[in-house]
Amino acid sequence: MKVLLTVVLMLLALTAPARADYTLIVPQEPGGGTSIWATVVASELEKKLGERVIIRHIPGARDQIGFDKFHNRLRFDEKTIMVSHGGNAVSFLQEKVDYNYADYSPVAIMNNNIIVSRREDLDWREEKIIFPERSGTVPESMALALLVGGPDAWDNWSQRVVYVKRMDTPECRMAFRRGEINVTRENPAAHKKHVEPVPGAVPFFHHGLFDPESGKFDRDPNFPEVPTLEELYSETWGAYPEGRLYEAYKMVKAWRDGVQKALWVNRGNPDLERLRSAVRAMLDDPEAMERIHAKLGSYPWHVGGEAENYMNALYPLITEEAMETLVEFNRDALNLDSFYNEKLIYRKDE
Amino acid sequence: MTEFLFLIAGVIYGLIVGVIPVAGATTGLIALYPFMSYFAPHPYLGVIFCVAAVASSTTGDTFSGILLGIPGANSAAATMVDGFPLAVRGKASYALSAALTVSTINGLLWGSLTFFLMPFYARLILILGIPEMLGLTVLAFATVVFLSTRYWVRSVLALLAGIFIGLIGYNVNASPRWTFGWDYLLDGVQLIPVVVGLFAVPELIHGLSARAKTAVHENRRHGEQTLEGIKSAFSNWKLSLSGGIIGSVIGILPGIGGAMADWLAYGNAVATNPGEEFGKGNIKGVIGCEGANNAQKASSFIPTVLFGIPGAPFAAVLMSLFMYLNFEMGTMEVINDQRFLSSLTYSFMWGTLITGAVCIFLSRYVSYLAYVPYKYYFPVLLGLVTWASMQYTGGWEDLAIMLIMSVIGVAARRFKFSRPSMLIGFILAARIEKLLWQTFTIYRPLTLLTRPIFIFFVLLIFLVVTAGIRNRSRLEYS
Repeated sequence: MKVLLTVVLMLLALTAPARADYTLIVPQEPGGGTSIWATVVASELEKKLGERVIIRHIPGARDQIGFDKFHNRLRFDEKTIMVSHGGNAVSFLQEKVDYNYADYSPVAIMNNNIIVSRREDLDWREEKIIFPERSGTVPESMALALLVGGPDAWDNWSQRVVYVKRMDTPECRMAFRRGEINVTRENPAAHKKHVEPVPGAVPFFHHGLFDPESGKFDRDPNFPEVPTLEELYSETWGAYPEGRLYEAYKMVKAWRDGVQKALWVNRGNPDLERLRSAVRAMLDDPEAMERIHAKLGSYPWHVGGEAENYMNALYPLITEEAMETLVEFNRDALNLDSFYNEKLIYRKDE
Repeated sequence: MTEFLFLIAGVIYGLIVGVIPVAGATTGLIALYPFMSYFAPHPYLGVIFCVAAVASSTTGDTFSGILLGIPGANSAAATMVDGFPLAVRGKASYALSAALTVSTINGLLWGSLTFFLMPFYARLILILGIPEMLGLTVLAFATVVFLSTRYWVRSVLALLAGIFIGLIGYNVNASPRWTFGWDYLLDGVQLIPVVVGLFAVPELIHGLSARAKTAVHENRRHGEQTLEGIKSAFSNWKLSLSGGIIGSVIGILPGIGGAMADWLAYGNAVATNPGEEFGKGNIKGVIGCEGANNAQKASSFIPTVLFGIPGAPFAAVLMSLFMYLNFEMGTMEVINDQRFLSSLTYSFMWGTLITGAVCIFLSRYVSYLAYVPYKYYFPVLLGLVTWASMQYTGGWEDLAIMLIMSVIGVAARRFKFSRPSMLIGFILAARIEKLLWQTFTIYRPLTLLTRPIFIFFVLLIFLVVTAGIRNRSRLEYS
């Protein structure tokens, strides 16, 4: 009995540091963009928290399995933090997933933007646009339909945009270089590395940065010369975009780029404030931020109450019409099966 | 000196993962993720270690293909078709030394051409578009189906079965396809359990049930066989070189992968020696595909470094490992970083050379594996391939897939349904689906007729199919 007790105590002593660690759940395999971001953030947080922060990869099902596991089981552990990316937000809006952002508190949210580029020789007002689409690129697909279709976009887009299915990011880069597709998209850091050096590539537009106060999308200070979709649309069609397709576009882009990278814990987690303080300390550390900016560009972070306010500004964008349009657009334009999740519809009185 | 130590460490690590059946370069690199932070203060040493591991694992995986009849990685599957029968006949050292010589020479040759002339390849990559990739992929299917076995109808069925398994996961509309409600399958069936099930387990079971040695011990001395093997590598230099050319072209094309290179090179060996028997221990079968092996690995670095587009599965993993070291492939920073480029060159070239020399020397001892009764190493090998299969989730699901694939593999072996055809169908299923979608969305059928390289591939496919049906391959490998 004594031996057994000693062994148990020794095992407990040996595993004590492991139990004290924070675990970041990354819903990807090692090496993905979010995984690398999480690695940088984890190493900085470790210094601020004074505790080990380890990464656990739970890949699968286009990055949904890890988030679903966090929702169903792992979030109840106080030391577990979820790392999500923009693709998770798109899946949240249009697919059957278990996770629900309303059930978690944001530790911090990092915004981002997507830059859409085209071949210089493309006369996009006349010629067909050839663009690679995937479920994560729904905002760009909608933006192109809006741009070429104008006020009657819903009826016009199909004549002018060809959506190429099943092209992953490396294939897109090659096909764009070869001119097989004439429009492509990248996040800002990748845009600088993979699009700017391509001869004959010019920026087309970007989605802008969502301002939770005004509900509008501002120009990106990282790309001051590139217009937002709204600006390019207004210049082309003489009016600000509106209508059901635009409402759906606004919703998807704000969600995807707004919560492009985010850290979550379960609501009521007692460590929340401590974690938020650590993130604030990281944001105040210029060396740490230089490393993070090098990966994804310099974009706003929202921590604590600011992050809660940001999320609160996103929910009202989920309207019945926007959700219906999203499902219809996915089905008719992109041939994607998506799910109309009535429970997500924002109702003011709830 | 520090660089040299890391080079040697990389070579040793690569050899170990290369020799482990079905592990190979990709698995070996995946296992390095947790350790990359140790290289952060010295990123160039990390580059040297990883690239040396790639170079040596490519050469090292020849051992398990020839000695055990189990591919070291999916890219070494073609080597075993003629290499294993040679080992069984007591000519393990002969087959190994020929394979290692060809592999090393092609690694050095194509490594030099790759690293010293890297910027000049950019144009070549841009000439070959989506339709040409489609043509090349179908050509690989045709080559394997008609050249890997004489039972071509069964081979076609095996290919279709492989494609079916390879398409499990999400369909083009982002809906689950053939997952039977099992979430584990949403990301598709993983490669390693398939290779283990199709090749490793059936060979292990066969060896155990036959209660035999793997190979017959021939009285001729090891040194004599080794010399003979090296000589045959040089006397068949044309075959070796053409294998290297095939491998290097496939390596340049992003996403096509090593399995195709080996089989096309094997097909070339069979086609250029019409009067000879293959599949029963013809050294030309070994030399043909080993020429492609290292050449493909070397030239895979071209799209990877120049454009940040992985030329093969191992290159995708390598690229993300380099991200941890702050080297982002395809960027001007990396292309202009002379120290990075020379680290790549240094580690690949020296890694290949050292591995070649060490392996030829070691082959004397390692080849004794071929004479050890199965009952002794059956549990060790089974443990290793099971470990390799469980690198995806580490859960029971990985084991279940391995078991299911083992049943399929044993049945395919017994009833002569080509396992190489099934494997290549599995590996390239998602790619062929993508390429079909992309080609017929972007191009109209008539515009395809204006692309000479595409037409060339179509004609080649026609020739391979016609010749395959008319003059049946003599191979009985399944």
